[in-house]
Formats: sequence, C-alpha cells, structure tokens
Amino acid sequence: MRFAWLRSPGLSVKFALTITAVVAGVAFTIGAVMVTLDWKRFQLELENSALLLAHSVSVTAADYILQNDYWSLFKSLKKLTTKGPGGVQETLIVTAMIIDPEGNILAHLQPSENPLGLPLSRGDTKENELWLSTQAVRAPTILSSRFGKEGFLEGVVPIFSDQILLGFVRVRLSYRELFLKAQRSAMVIVGLTLGLVLLGSLLGTALSRRMTKPLTAMTQGIEALGRGELATISPIAVSDNDEIGLLTMTFNKIAAEMAEKKTLEEQVAVSEKLVALGRISAGVAHEVNNPLAGMMNCIDTLKKHPNDPELVARYLPLLDKGLNRIKGIVQSLLIELHVEDTQATDSAASLDELRELIASEIGGRDIQLAWDNQLDEAILIDKIRVQQIILNLLKNAIQAVTDDGTVSFTTYQDGDYVTLIISDDGEGISADYRKQIFDPFFTTKINGTGLGLWIVYRLVECMHGIIEVDSELAKGTRFVVTLPCIEASTS
Amino acid sequence: MSSILKQPDKPRGDCIVKQSWLVITLLIVTGLTHSARAETPAHTAASDPIEFGLTAVVIQENLRFLDQWSNYLSQKMGQPVTFVRRKSYREVMELLESGSIDFAWICGYPFVKNRTPEYLQLLSVPVYAGQPLYHSYIIVHKASAYQSIEELEGKVFAFSDPESNSGYLYPQFLLSAKGKNPEAYFRNSFFTYNHAETIEAVAEQVADGGAVDSYIWETLLQSRPELVNQTRIIVKSPAFGFPPLVARLGADRHKVEKMKEALLAMSDDPQGQHFLRGLKLDRFGDFPPTIFDSISNMIMQKRWGLARDVTAPNAAQQRSDKR
Repeated sequence: MRFAWLRSPGLSVKFALTITAVVAGVAFTIGAVMVTLDWKRFQLELENSALLLAHSVSVTAADYILQNDYWSLFKSLKKLTTKGPGGVQETLIVTAMIIDPEGNILAHLQPSENPLGLPLSRGDTKENELWLSTQAVRAPTILSSRFGKEGFLEGVVPIFSDQILLGFVRVRLSYRELFLKAQRSAMVIVGLTLGLVLLGSLLGTALSRRMTKPLTAMTQGIEALGRGELATISPIAVSDNDEIGLLTMTFNKIAAEMAEKKTLEEQVAVSEKLVALGRISAGVAHEVNNPLAGMMNCIDTLKKHPNDPELVARYLPLLDKGLNRIKGIVQSLLIELHVEDTQATDSAASLDELRELIASEIGGRDIQLAWDNQLDEAILIDKIRVQQIILNLLKNAIQAVTDDGTVSFTTYQDGDYVTLIISDDGEGISADYRKQIFDPFFTTKINGTGLGLWIVYRLVECMHGIIEVDSELAKGTRFVVTLPCIEASTS
Repeated sequence: MSSILKQPDKPRGDCIVKQSWLVITLLIVTGLTHSARAETPAHTAASDPIEFGLTAVVIQENLRFLDQWSNYLSQKMGQPVTFVRRKSYREVMELLESGSIDFAWICGYPFVKNRTPEYLQLLSVPVYAGQPLYHSYIIVHKASAYQSIEELEGKVFAFSDPESNSGYLYPQFLLSAKGKNPEAYFRNSFFTYNHAETIEAVAEQVADGGAVDSYIWETLLQSRPELVNQTRIIVKSPAFGFPPLVARLGADRHKVEKMKEALLAMSDDPQGQHFLRGLKLDRFGDFPPTIFDSISNMIMQKRWGLARDVTAPNAAQQRSDKR
C-alpha cells in the first residue's frame, strides 16, 4: 500500500525515475567527496598560514619580552596585518596577541579593548576554554572554534628562551573565507548535481522509452488480437537481440499465424456461402422447372386445339396452379422484402389468433396442443413476422409428431426479451441434418419446399433475435426463439 | 649621486631603564670634570666621506630629503657628507666616542651628561619658531579622559629613548618632583626609540600616555595630521635647549669650523633655506652651552632628590596648556 504510487505508473516512468535516482545519488556522493576534500585542503592551508604567522612573530618575541620591548611586540603583530603577498591577505586575521604564561597581555592587535599588562578578558566561556587549551600548549598547535562565518582557528606558538616559557603567540584567522569558499563549491556541486539529474532523467526517459516501446506495441497488439482485429496488427520492429527482442519476435510470429488462419477461415466461409448460393440457385431452378414442364405441355396442347373448350376447362386450372406455385416460391424467397414492407405492431394477445389456424392444421389427428401465452397484453409484438415464425415452427412440429403426440407453445417475457418455445415429442432431427435445417430448399418431406425454417431463420435474424434448436432422436425437438422487446414509445 | 645613505642597523634591545641609570650613576661617580681632552687622531683624507650621525631628534623617514641635504652639505664641505642613522641615541654617542663619526645631531640630555674625558663640542643649535628652544609634551589618546599625569598612574606609558630629554628625562623628573617613584608609577612602560612611534603608540592605544619632543609633534601635525590628531597634549614642559648638533673634540678643527660655517650659512642662501623649510627650522645658530642648563639642573635635582613640584617657577607655564 505504501508504495502503491510506485507500482501504478508504467515501466517507462519507473525506469526513468530509477536512473535519475541513481545518477543523482552518484553525482551527490562525488560532489560531497569533492567538497570535503576541498574543505580539508583549505583548512590545512589556513592552519599552516596561522602557524606560519604565529611562528614569524615568535622568532623575535623572546628578545622583546626579555627587554620589556612591548612596542616592538606590538609592531610585530601589526606587521602581520600589513603583510603583502603570500596569501595572507586572503585570510582575515581576526586578532593576534602575545600573552604571558600567567595570562597577562604583552601585546594585542586591539590594544584599546585589551590593554597591555592586564589579564586577557575571558568573560566568554569559549575564550576561557581557548585560554585553558593555550596554557597547555608547549609546541606549535592549532586551536579552533566551531565552523561558520564567524568561526576561526588559532595558531598558537609558545615562546621559549633557554627552555623557560615566556608566553604564547596566538594568531586567530577567520573561517569566513574558508566558509565562503566551501559555500561556493557547495553551490557548484548542487548545480552540477541538478544538471546531472536532468541529464540522467533525459537519458532514463530515452532508455526506458526504447525498452518499453516494443512492450507497449505488443500490449496494443494483444488487445487488437482480443478484439479480433488481426488485419490492423503490423509487425513490431525488433531493435535488440535481448529477451524483449525475442518476445517481440515470438509475438510477431503468433500474430502472423493468427492472421493467416483468419484469412483461411474467411476464405472457407466465402466458399461455403458460394456453395449455399449454388444450392439455392439449383433449388429455385428445380422448383420452378417442375411446374414449368407441365405448363408448357398444357400450352402446347392448347395451341394444337385452340377451340376445344374441354381442354381449356381442364388445362387452365393446371396452369393457374403451376403459376401459383411459382409465385409462392418467389414470394417465399422475397419474404424479407415482403415483411419489411408490412411491418405492423400489435398486442401480444394477437398471438392467440393462431390457435384456430393450428387446430385446423391438426385436423382430425389426435394431437394434443399445449398453448401457454404468458405475455402481458401491453407487450407489443411484430404481429405478422412473429405469427409467421410460430406458424412455421408449429406446422413442422405437427408434421413431426405421431398421432398421439404432443405439441406445445409457450411464450413469456424475460427481461427485455420475449421468449418463444415451440416443442414436440416427435422423432427428432438427426445430427447430420441439424446443420442444414435452416438452409433454403433443404427438406426431408416429400412435398416440402424446404423454405419454412429458412424463412423462420431470416425473420428472426432481421428482428435481431436468436434461434436455438435442441433435438434428440426419438425424444423430440425444441426450438427456442428469443426476440428483443419492441419499445412502446417507438411504435 | 655621490653620497650614500646608510641603512639603520638592526635594533638592539640593550636599553632597559635600569641599565641606563647604572651608566648615569657610574658617570657621576667617576668624575665631574669637563677638562679632559681627547687627542686628535690622524687626519683623514679629503675624499673620505664625513659621517654625520642622526638620532630620533629629526624625522628620519624622509630619505630623499636627507639625501638632498647631504648633497648640499657635501658641496659646501667640498667632501662627501653621509648621514649615519642608529636606532638609539646611545649607539650614536658610542660612534662619537669611538671616533667613528665626527658630527652628530643629538639630544640636549646626552650632551649635558658628564663625560670623562670630554669628547664633544657644541657645533650649532637649531632655531625653531624663533628660539633655540623646544618642549616636552606628555600626550594621551584624544578619546581618553586623562587630564593630568596623575591620572596615568598604573597605566601604560611610552617613552621615546632612555637618552632623550623630552621623551624620557622630563617625565621622569616630573614624577620625581611630584614625589612619585618613576620606576613604579606606571603599570608598564616601554621605549619606542622614535618620537613619531611614541605618537603612534598613543594613537593606537598601546600606551595610555607618552612623552614626545614638541618639535617632532608639531612637525608631524602638519605632515601626518591623521596620526597626530589622534593624540592630545596634557602636559607641556618648560622650554629646554633645542637638540644640538655636536662635533667630536678630536675632529679636525678646520673641518669642524667649515661644517659650522656651512650650517650657519644655510639661512643665507636659497638652497639652504629650502632645506631649513623642509626641517621646519628657522636657521642653525651659534649659542653657548648654557642654554642646556635647564636640562642639567633637572638632572641634578632629580639625582639628589631636589626635584620640585610642577608649581616650581621654571615649570609654571606648563599648566597653562592643560585642557
């Protein structure tokens, strides 16, 4: 949970952040080391100059102290501040003094505040500590205060004459220059670090882009595969021969194979359609040709005997029957066009009108019809189409059952859908035929046209519904049609 | 340039107060006669430079000026004249005593001291502000509250030279006259061996007070006002004979006469007047040694405990300058 924000962004962000962090870390470490080394060098220089200055005073101080020549002592301190070249001017002399072993001032650069011959003022605890440290000094030593703009370090050199301690020279140099130098180098380091971080983040972004680009492309490719848009997938460029490169190559291979497979499937579908079309054409030709032959004979006979009223009376009904059959076939083939033109909605109760029609279809046979219309009267249906579907399916069911069989019709509402179930306990449909039952002109009946189920299928399809068939030999068949409800407002 | 200015020697710290007292005491004990005369050593060649000793009674920092003056004197003498400088009066006195130099510009105090045998003769006394006289000034820092030498008790005091009248003898005398022990009066005291540096020591507040030559103080007031204005006079001494120019007794009489003439004649010729102006002097005059009697008296009074308070008649005028 705590690092959720780190897990959520993409790899490109994580890579870039990681590289930036590493670069920043390295730059900062190097910078810190440089500053520290620089600072140590400066401090050593400062310490050396403090000792050098204190020593230069101590060389002559012994004689002056023995001779009470305080003026020369003072002048030797004063000279420190007016010294020309040698880096001394760069460092700020805070103060300098010569103190005797008892702590009395022999000379001081600020004589008005630190009068000659009086004990050095040690009101400050820091000053007192420094003096206690100074008292213990027997060889040139560096004492220092805390580091800062106002900080200082002190070169302390004891003054000896014939092994007798005469006093101490204390030269106090300001840390100010050192501090400013350290500050300047710290600024440079911070600037450099920021620059490197910027460079690192740019580099990281570029690198991570390069690394994650094939991954992103692959993700998009897989998503396209999921949607089945195989044609839109173009091969992803393989830039490196690493694991990602191998993955990319494998993906490209799979995508290509799937695209090839889809193309093959499409080709198969096209040829299947062509086969179906051929079958339809053959069916139409056959169905139309049968009555045509009889009608041609009739017409030939009538031509030979144009004035024979008996022939006319006998053949005209035959011609009429043949033409009606052809008209029926053509009308059935045009069912789609036909029903579209005559779309009419009506109450679901209108379905009950079919009951009479079905009863007459059963005729004298001892078939039991179970009729169960659970639809509310308020529900609207596409009367003509739905009646056609139910009629066709029930006719088939009646033909399929034996004389003591049962045919049932059930309809009900299921959410936004209307379900129609037509079932029988007839002989069932063999698995061989099940694929073909919705094909036009496919029939197992002696006088069938093979268009009934095809018409049902086309009607369901054009109403955006689903038709399912569930059949078992010697047990019966069940057709389930699911149609979307018609919204009252649009009707 | 034919003449060369010698650089001063390295300072030698042999001038502790007590030591100078020992020497003075010794001189007094060994005799008070002025009669002894050192025999003149063999004459030096005319081309040999005449070495003229200078002490802190003149401002020696102006090298070019002194160089030009020595050129002028060389011209007048017909012989190169070189100024020889030493840190302390004593060193110059030793050079005179040993015969290393024949002439020197010294202070009235060493001049009036007893010598056995006597080896000095008075050459000339400069005339400053119309008189062959000067004073000793006791000075303090301008910002300080001190108004009298009494207030300087237990403080730090800067003397100029243990053989200086204005810079040492007078303040010692003044304290004796007040019944004080000059040795224990100050917390600390030191010698700067230079009147200008005494002023500096007071200006820097290394010393709370100092004793200086009035001639040097007044001259520096014009050339270095930023320094001198840091100081304030609290005591002005009675007049003393101006630091004299002396010749070694054993020196060639002719040369001494010629030098005396050259010096006395400076006020008569424009070039000489130029140098006198530079020295802020009116002229070099011929005066009897008696003008230094006031210094001799001071030594005597101090030596035998006869010192009187500053209210003594000869010291009355110093009060007028108290501020």
